Order: sequence, then structure tokens, then C-alpha cells
Amino acid sequence: MDLTVVKNATCTFCGCVCDDIELHADGVRIVKTKSACSLGESWFKNHTAEHLYPDALIDGKPATVDAAVDATADYLIKANMPLVYGLSNVTCEAQRGAVALAEMVAGVIDSHTSL
Amino acid sequence: MTCTLGEVKNRADFIVYWGGNPAECHPRHFTKYTLTQKGKFVPRGRKDRTMVLVDIRETPSAKAADIFLQIKPTKDFEVLTILRALLKNQTVDRELAAETGLTLEQLQDLVDRMKSARFGVIFFGMGISMTRGKHMNSAAILTLVAELNAFTKFVAMPMRGHGNVTGADVVMRWTTGYPFGVNLCRGYPRYNPGEFSTVDLLVRGDVDAALILGADPGATMPQPAIDHLARIPTIVLDPKVTHTSRLARVHITTAVTGISATGTVYRMDEIPLPLRPALKSPYPTDEEVIRRVSKAVEKKMALSTASNGITMRA
Repeated sequence: MDLTVVKNATCTFCGCVCDDIELHADGVRIVKTKSACSLGESWFKNHTAEHLYPDALIDGKPATVDAAVDATADYLIKANMPLVYGLSNVTCEAQRGAVALAEMVAGVIDSHTSL
Repeated sequence: MTCTLGEVKNRADFIVYWGGNPAECHPRHFTKYTLTQKGKFVPRGRKDRTMVLVDIRETPSAKAADIFLQIKPTKDFEVLTILRALLKNQTVDRELAAETGLTLEQLQDLVDRMKSARFGVIFFGMGISMTRGKHMNSAAILTLVAELNAFTKFVAMPMRGHGNVTGADVVMRWTTGYPFGVNLCRGYPRYNPGEFSTVDLLVRGDVDAALILGADPGATMPQPAIDHLARIPTIVLDPKVTHTSRLARVHITTAVTGISATGTVYRMDEIPLPLRPALKSPYPTDEEVIRRVSKAVEKKMALSTASNGITMRA
């Protein structure tokens, strides 16, 4: 399979967010990185497009994303004070959605910064 | 008083790393932004810059430093306070100074160098905020830097760890007015670290459900906090089945940010950068899952309002 080359890719492993990385990918995995440090290289090479984990788990058992989304909504609505936490390894767009969701369910929103 | 890493690259001739180990934790910080690059006002690159490392142990970063100052553990605040005193030409007791692990001469030398720099910067790491004094230490660094501006241009920047933790601060700031630990229970944002910060909420058992995304608290938080996550309904969105997933009621696998999910991420100097994913994931992105959960919540809340005539929550 031909390799696709992505130039000026952005590495999100650490706070440096280097945006000058070159990635060579074969569709399933990244086989080569240029300009990345050792941490960045293992970050890029250790994540593949394989289906390694179940789409979703409910009480430890494989489930569909639809069912998991539904269960999530129920738990958040039922709670008096739900917490939305983390937000470090997600995009700003997801963070923005998470803030809106926290407001909708009248909860608390927090990130790694508070540690 | 902060700046972008581009300004550091082009201007900084005096660089202090305090309580951090960039050589191992941010490997390209030296070469891409701070030390070795040639800049507009530092044309000879590394030769035009002085680098000081302050830490409690000699890490691999010490090799890159011109001056390594090894201080005693938990003495960061004392060192910073002495530097502030020396900056104002106040007398400092030699023996009290020695308790920090540094001599008065070393401290005076550091102050002199800071004052005579053209553009100085202090990068402070977790060694500052995770030791005795916590945010008081960060505050002491910022105060020192503010006071240094009476003599020369000086800035400070935290060395942020995880990819987009800076983005979380920025997004929460512009949506709620506060950077983290924001309580929206009353329908308007309230901010009080220590009260509404996650570890405190979990250890006290205040929250009764948790949605975790882009984090694995089950691997990093204090045990009483993890115990509470296991007690309450916890939901995890993550590309992997994590420690937290194992104690959660619901786990949803998501695409990896930057590798198969696109979007925007903030660098530690608050510069937003676009992602350019190289792979297509079989899983939905975090953004998409959050959107679907929000829609489901909206629908269910509307239903319950229609059936009993009152909203779920005041």
C-alpha cells in the first residue's frame, strides 16, 4: 500500500505541541516520523487505526455507542452534582462541547490544571 | 507577564528553568524554542544565551545548563523570597540563606545576572507547584518576575505537560470566565480552587457522577479520590480502555486526538495550532461523542419537562 505523507503534522504529546512533524502512514499505522523527539515518535507509532478495543462498554460488557451514549445521558441527568473532568488530551472543540454539556446538566467542569 | 515561545527564541538572552526537566519531558524545548535557535536579537544562538537550571536534583537537563543551582527540597519559596529581598538590596542572613542549599554568593550572583539580562524568562515546572507551598510558589515566581521588570524585561511561563491542557484553560476562560474548577450547579459559574477542584470534590464525596475525557485519574489520583470514582457512576471517553475505564460504569472508545481526530490544540504559550491527522479511526471523536451525549441529554430533559410540567433542576 502506498504511504501517505502528512507534512507539518502537530504532535499533542506534551505542551510543546510541535507542528513541524512529517508523518508517513500506510492507512493503519504511522511507520515513519521526521523531526519528532523520542516521546513524539513513540506517541505517533503506538496509536494505530486498528479496532483494538470494543466500541463501548457498559458495566464491563461490550455495548453499542448508541446504548453507551444513552446510559451516559441518564447518569448525568440523574446526578445532583455531576463532574466533567480531564480535557487534556482532547481538542478545543471537544472541550467547548464539554463545557456546554456541564452547564446543561448543572455540574462542575475541571481539568488537569487543578491537580 | 508572559510571552510566546517565538519571542523567547528571538529575544531571550537569560533563560531559567525552575523545577522542571525539559531534557526528558519536553525534549525539543531547548532546540526548537529556547536555547540553541538563532534569533533576531540573539544572532549567535546558544552563545548569546545563558541558561540556569534550578532543581532539587541533578537531572539530565543540568547538562544543558551554564549554571546548575541545586536547592534543598521544599525550599523553593524561601529561595524566591531571598531573591526578591536581594533584588531590593535588603540584608539577608547568611545562615538562613544557606538553609536553602545555596550560598548567599550564589543567590546574589543569580540576582545580578537577572538584573543585567536584556530579556529574561523563567520557565517553571511541576517541581514548583507540586511541592510544599504549591500555588504560593508559582505566585512567588510571578511576583519576582514582576519586580524584575523595574530593571529589565522579564517574563514567566509555566511548562505545561499534557498536550492540550493549555487549551482547557483557554476554553474554560472564554466560556465561563474562569480557567478550571468551575461549578455551574447554580446555572452561573462559580470558581473556588480547593472547593470545586476535582481531587477535593472526589475525596469529600461531593459529586455523584463523573464524566472523564482526555484523562486517566484512575492511574494518577490519590486513592480516596479513585475509591469515590468507583462508587459513583463514572463514564470514560478514551482511545484506550484505561484504569479509569475498568472502574467505570460506561466506557466509550474514541479516536486519538491529533492522530485520527482533527481540531485545534493550544501550545503552552497559548498559541492555537491546527491538527493534521494521518490516520482514519474506526471510532468516533471525543467531540462527536460529547455532541451526541448533549443531544440525548437535551431530548430526555425536554421529555421530562413535558411530562411533569417542571424542569429537572431549578
